Amino acid sequence: MRVMKPGLLRAVIGAAIGIGVGVGSLTLATGAGLIIEGGQFLGLAYLLALIGFLFGIGAFRFWVTWAAGREVDAAEEHAAHGTAGDWRRYFRFTTDHKVIGVQYLVTAFLLFMTAGTFAMLMRYELAQPGLALGKEAYNEIMSTHGAMMITVALISIIGGLGNFLVPIMIGARDMAFPKTNALSYWLLPLPILLVAINPLLGGFDSGWTAYPPLSQQANLGQQAYLMAFVTVGISSILSAINFLVTVFRMRAPGMSLMRMPIFVWALTVTATLMLVATSVVAGAFTMLTFDRVLGTSFFRPSRGGDVILFEHLFWFYSHPAVYIMGLPGLGAILEVVPAFARKPLFAYPLAVLSFISIGVLSFMVWAHHMFVSGMAEFFHIPIMLTTELISVPTGIVFLAALGTIWMGRLHFKTPMLWVFGFIWAFLIGGITGVYLADVPTDITLSDTYFVVAHFHYTIVGGTIFGLFAGTYYWYPKITGRMYSERLGKLHFWWFTLAFNATFLPMFWLGIEGMRRRVADYPSQFGGLNLFISVAAFNIFLSVAVFAFNMVWSWRRGERAVANPWRAHTLEWQVSSPPPIQNFDQIPTVSAGPYEFGGSAGAPAEGRAAP
Amino acid sequence: MTNPQRHLWIAAAAWAVLSIVGSLLVAGIQIIPVIASREAEIENSAFVLLTVLSVPVLMFVVVGLAYSAIRFRANGDETDGPPVHGNRAFQSIWLGISFALVIGLFGYGAVGLVDIRGAQSADFEVQVRSEQWAWHFEYPTAGVVSKELHIPVGERVHLVINSDDVIHSFWVPAFGVKQDAVPGRPTQIYLTATVAGTYPGLCAELCGFGHTDMHMTVVVSDRAALETWLSEQPTPSANPSGSPS
Repeated sequence: MRVMKPGLLRAVIGAAIGIGVGVGSLTLATGAGLIIEGGQFLGLAYLLALIGFLFGIGAFRFWVTWAAGREVDAAEEHAAHGTAGDWRRYFRFTTDHKVIGVQYLVTAFLLFMTAGTFAMLMRYELAQPGLALGKEAYNEIMSTHGAMMITVALISIIGGLGNFLVPIMIGARDMAFPKTNALSYWLLPLPILLVAINPLLGGFDSGWTAYPPLSQQANLGQQAYLMAFVTVGISSILSAINFLVTVFRMRAPGMSLMRMPIFVWALTVTATLMLVATSVVAGAFTMLTFDRVLGTSFFRPSRGGDVILFEHLFWFYSHPAVYIMGLPGLGAILEVVPAFARKPLFAYPLAVLSFISIGVLSFMVWAHHMFVSGMAEFFHIPIMLTTELISVPTGIVFLAALGTIWMGRLHFKTPMLWVFGFIWAFLIGGITGVYLADVPTDITLSDTYFVVAHFHYTIVGGTIFGLFAGTYYWYPKITGRMYSERLGKLHFWWFTLAFNATFLPMFWLGIEGMRRRVADYPSQFGGLNLFISVAAFNIFLSVAVFAFNMVWSWRRGERAVANPWRAHTLEWQVSSPPPIQNFDQIPTVSAGPYEFGGSAGAPAEGRAAP
Repeated sequence: MTNPQRHLWIAAAAWAVLSIVGSLLVAGIQIIPVIASREAEIENSAFVLLTVLSVPVLMFVVVGLAYSAIRFRANGDETDGPPVHGNRAFQSIWLGISFALVIGLFGYGAVGLVDIRGAQSADFEVQVRSEQWAWHFEYPTAGVVSKELHIPVGERVHLVINSDDVIHSFWVPAFGVKQDAVPGRPTQIYLTATVAGTYPGLCAELCGFGHTDMHMTVVVSDRAALETWLSEQPTPSANPSGSPS
């Protein structure tokens, strides 16, 4: 009976059929005398498994029914929304943006813990000079950690918090394309699983950057990563279109662009970057896959291909990707600050302009990853200029945060603590970024632990601190329960101290000449590396506190009122959790999102129907 | 409540003191641990300048955060703060200083880059060949191939770098030079070693599991010692009778 209905069971069967058909047909072809390699087996099996999975989960049911000329059952459509509080909705092809948001958040968190486990293995290997797990294993663990964490940083805030909140924050009942939204999410489980099991396929040792020719030599696990990343890219593009159309077409009356919450602005710029940049890396990874599977030679120097071309294409996406990861975090931080400083967001129009400027400039800085690559010599100069220029709009984020905090009435609840942690971490990331933008210092620093420390300070500082700030801030809205303030503060202090103890010494290691991506190092670095490993294990433990707090409070936490933080944006004007259609009546917005200090501190923004 | 001007003055004074003390502490230190070339000297001075400039930036934010955390706590005060949406003068100064810093840093960096690249001429040339996972150095004038890099002190050296398989990166930390070895596309660098001695070199680009152990030894000596060493090396293709070892 259950097999007859779309769902996880049917999706797994669909994927299995896909793998069976793929492997079976190629086995038959081998029997007929064709020479078929492992890469081709994997490629076809994965493609068909993905299609089978999506059909099984019911991603195309509406379109198939419609194309077959049958009546599209309106009741069935509504059933996709289900009843609020039914946990099974989270395991189905559900089109409710709030369900999809939670699916993204939980998926991203599980992936975060998995990638974190890989990081612990790395720190285990690096705790002492000499080898514990081995060089080959280390490279594979390091590559998988990178690939997974990049995915976490790409999807967690925009996919999780963004999906849940953006429609409510702009006064809409759902995203513009709910079915496409669900499709974006359900495109993810299979590629994530594929990356997780890549060690079974021989692993891949070329890092998440996958530079050829190394990535052309690597095992089948490499191809698994390439195909998985392209799939995540397709999901990103679909969700970018969805966000843009939602923001530009579905705002409530009175919600002018300059009345949008800063978080929505951040995600709007993020979605634009996702839409424009992602196809470039998907193209480059597809070309690389073709080099491996179809015998092309885009990046094979022995047959006229060019490896520097790959670096250009890769970073043309992957630098904007840094802002795809960072901007949502900055937006979440600036959303939290006014509520806990009880002041309007300082220089809001300038902050909006800075997000747009970051978006535009982010396309002009990619080659600062290639200062020692052997690219055209004159190109160093303009790229150095644009890279340093991007610090001006990024600095405005600090202006907005500090300006809001100054003379405020600061309430140090857990989200506000994460704001302070964010400002410190992102500041260190920003300052050390200047050393890497400056070509003379970059020449000596590139490919050392200085770079490792720098990007962890920016990505963890920008994205993960922003994610934690946002998750604690909106937790009452999402779950209808209050989290434990005591555990939240414990998590903050433990995580922040361990994080700084882990990554601050790495700047020193890099200056002293420790290379990144090595399993072993000169014994003079032994003491510091042991210290770092111990600190890194503490990061992991502190996240366990977070996990416990989230799960326990969802069941046992105190019931949350609609607006526990006395904030003014629309999501706080509906119940916690929000009703299934968000608003009984679409609100009319009559003021900006941060009118603190107005008449008696009453929310000035649109009053939603109770 | 205290008047807003007073908060600003106290914070500004704390910032000024911390910035001056901090900048003085970092000015003039050697950051790159071993400096044995003209290029590394240029990089070290860039390093010091950036560090001196980052102190006031760091202190500005840190003082702002710390002062606010101490003085602007709500402490049970449930009222809102002042409805300030911005400050045109402050924002303009902020932007002006940001732009000035960026343009200054860019100018300094560009000059430093041109300085490091220097004149594209050399007194001594070596062909560097890399493969998984070893370095080979070919001295065209002497017709010698070696696993060690020997270069003369105080002379301008031209390195032409090749790779036989994947991307590697030629890095000698003491020289402050790093350049990828790209298959199918020779790259090059110039450098001037200033201190005689033996230095470690490494591959800086992930090149497979042997990457960890892809080291080399670089020897800087005066010209005479270099010529002697070259004459003692066997020439690969010629008969080994050239010089009795």
